[in-house]
Amino acid sequence: MVFSSILFMFIYLPIVLAVYYLVSSRWRNVWLFAVNLVFYGWGEPVYVFLMVFSICLNYVSGRLIGKYRETALPRAKRVLIINTVLNLAMLFFFKYFDLMAETLSLILGADIPTLGLTLPIGISFYTFQTMSYPIDVYRGDGHVQKNFIKFGTFVALFPQLIAGPIVRYKDIADQLDERHENLDQFASGVQRFIVGLGKKVLIANNVGMLWDVYASAAPGELTFLGSWLAAIAFSLQIYFDFSGYSDMAIGLGRMLGFEFLENFNYPYISKSVTEFWRRWHMSLGTWFRDYVYIPLGGNRKGLPRQLVNILIVWALTGIWHGASWTFLVWGLYYAFFLLMEKLFLLRWLKKLPAFVGHIYTLVVAISGWVIFQQTSVSQTLVFFRAMFGLGQAGLCSGQDMYYLAGFVAILLIGCVASLPAGSALFKKLPQKFRAVAVPVLAAVVLVVSTAYLVDSTYNPFLYFRF
Amino acid sequence: MSKMEKIIILAVFLGFIGAFLLLMVVMPDRDFSQQENRYLQRLPIFSLDALTEGDYTADFEKYTTDQFPFRDAWTSLKARCELLLGKKENNGVYYCAGGALIPHFDVPAKEAVDKNIDYLNALVDNTDIPVYFGLIPGAGEVQSSLLPKNAPIGSQQTVIDWAYGRSRAINIDVQSALSAHKDEYIFYRTDHHWTSLGAYYGSLALRQAWALPCPALDSYQRQTVSESFYGTTYSSSGYAWVAPDEMETFVPDDGSATVLDLGNDPPTEGPLYDTSFLDVKDKYSMFLGGNTPLRSIDTGHEGEKLLVIRDSYSDSLAPFLLDSFSRIDLMDLRYYRDSLAQYIQDNGFDKILVLYSVSNFSTDQNLFLLDPTLF
Repeated sequence: MVFSSILFMFIYLPIVLAVYYLVSSRWRNVWLFAVNLVFYGWGEPVYVFLMVFSICLNYVSGRLIGKYRETALPRAKRVLIINTVLNLAMLFFFKYFDLMAETLSLILGADIPTLGLTLPIGISFYTFQTMSYPIDVYRGDGHVQKNFIKFGTFVALFPQLIAGPIVRYKDIADQLDERHENLDQFASGVQRFIVGLGKKVLIANNVGMLWDVYASAAPGELTFLGSWLAAIAFSLQIYFDFSGYSDMAIGLGRMLGFEFLENFNYPYISKSVTEFWRRWHMSLGTWFRDYVYIPLGGNRKGLPRQLVNILIVWALTGIWHGASWTFLVWGLYYAFFLLMEKLFLLRWLKKLPAFVGHIYTLVVAISGWVIFQQTSVSQTLVFFRAMFGLGQAGLCSGQDMYYLAGFVAILLIGCVASLPAGSALFKKLPQKFRAVAVPVLAAVVLVVSTAYLVDSTYNPFLYFRF
Repeated sequence: MSKMEKIIILAVFLGFIGAFLLLMVVMPDRDFSQQENRYLQRLPIFSLDALTEGDYTADFEKYTTDQFPFRDAWTSLKARCELLLGKKENNGVYYCAGGALIPHFDVPAKEAVDKNIDYLNALVDNTDIPVYFGLIPGAGEVQSSLLPKNAPIGSQQTVIDWAYGRSRAINIDVQSALSAHKDEYIFYRTDHHWTSLGAYYGSLALRQAWALPCPALDSYQRQTVSESFYGTTYSSSGYAWVAPDEMETFVPDDGSATVLDLGNDPPTEGPLYDTSFLDVKDKYSMFLGGNTPLRSIDTGHEGEKLLVIRDSYSDSLAPFLLDSFSRIDLMDLRYYRDSLAQYIQDNGFDKILVLYSVSNFSTDQNLFLLDPTLF
């Protein structure tokens, strides 16, 4: 199930909320646990068993580690290693098996059959979430959760289940035991959900169509203007899709009394690639920092080792995004810029006027999304040639003008909405005006989004590949 | 935010989703959507099998959008928003000057056209009867000035030129006949077909090729039979507020022609205009009664026998040809599954006309049935 659907908004959500607030607080986790499984199993019912297995595995590991870490640390370590390996094996099997089979078949000339399994939704997200729990217990960063239902509620918590933010157990451990749902939190949750809904349905889906127009264009058709239009459209699409989804998750969490960490912080205003990744998908960056980069030694073991660590983390970040080598290329592409910045580029950028850093970061990010989204390197190169003036099709065509006219409004809205300036400006308006404007805007977004959802079979969800 | 504001935003949100949940439960489900011209998803029946093996959840999701209260109003709101944002197309239909809804057209691969033309040529080479070939361009070509500026629509002229260049049949220039009157009401605004007026100009192109007299427009008895025709492009576009089309007949059904539907066994007799279709969505099927494998018209006039290999454009054209032939047969290769060569031989036709709209000709997969050497 996805949030941006009639089913979720008008059937699932009202029922979940109604029962949640009708029952007494000790039954609320039980109710959440049950409806989480419905949410999760909706797309592929059999994978509910996978989810339950994952909950059991990590629950038991957590308890064992908690027990042994006081008395027999090596034993606790062994449990942790086994648990981590099993979690990763599950992720590997469902997500990367086919890629490995194809690649090995290609290299060895052997014929390893692929399985063609449907990717269990959100597996990349919830594997990371659950894995972090026994690690935290082992490190003494988190307490053991003895209540199975509470632990299960954490793992399968529907707001952040399938597209993040990646919530670490220690961040919401206390909230599982005790939440104080209240009007303030609920109202801000509603507002946040509507913001996210508008971002996803009204902006992301819309600009996404522009990318689709150009994505597979032949070299002779792709103009300079067309290639940039498409690349900018996709950059906006993925930002509004992903951050919109995070907004909806955070909003839904608040409606149920949870506070999740933020996941995006206006990434496109960054002045360097380093800064960009501190503002983009923050929960993923934090996860890799805490569970990969720092355990590898981080920056504490000298510069060469640090550079290697960065390379490892970014290769993993890349391939985490999908089972295709193009994602690895995309991760290494970022590793390159991050290393350059670490070595000298950041110092240079600091001396230059701010706009140089902005433009450089935007060009790197936008070009990066082309690598990310194209399924073949050759088509990426077609785009790069057109974007950097080496294309065969010239500057612009009549077709570009048609699409520009059709999309200029939504592109401008997207650009403004991806900067903090828009909301800062809104906050400067008189209080009285805002008191009226907020509910009116919320109602408009709600109604228009509903129209698009009712109409649309075009409601693709980008993160099923994650 | 003050407490009041919080309560308001809460009420808006919960009221909205709660109200529609309630409406979904109490409002009766619809079977068929007139606007979209399709059957809507009904509530799927739950069973464990359907859940694990079948498409229960997918069907259920389709059910929620298909049966959402006031669905038509929502889809038209979406179409309006798109227009407001500056997009001149919705679901593959262009919103054109004067409220005309013109479908998008993609130029087919040359090989696909070549293949269809080769089948046509095989017919020409293997029969002694003269074969005439006409391609009817759509509004997207003839009335291209109505399209939004720079609309990325394929050129139907290119397809016609390419096809006529390879064809060994006697090609008929329908394109010029229509283009000469491109500012007139020759295509429906909400449908992909030509109007009866368009069909009249088309009939003149045929008459010239056959050296038949060309009756003047005012010699016909024009009669408006419907003022509420919403066609295919209306359905797919969602531009629900545009004005409906008018439908006319030019040649009255005076009972002298006998129309036999040979697709039925035994053949059934029908009228020239089946006005029962005027009460339903698919009004265009009024002409001769819509699609069928084979229809034979005994015109009641003196003249030659004509076989038309048709698509639906020919149904509104046929009345204009009645007075010049003794018999007109209309065969639809999408449905006809017997031997064409045999049928030609058995019935002694004097002329064969292969007449298609460019868009049907570009995508049709059944023209191999023209080739007598294959059967």
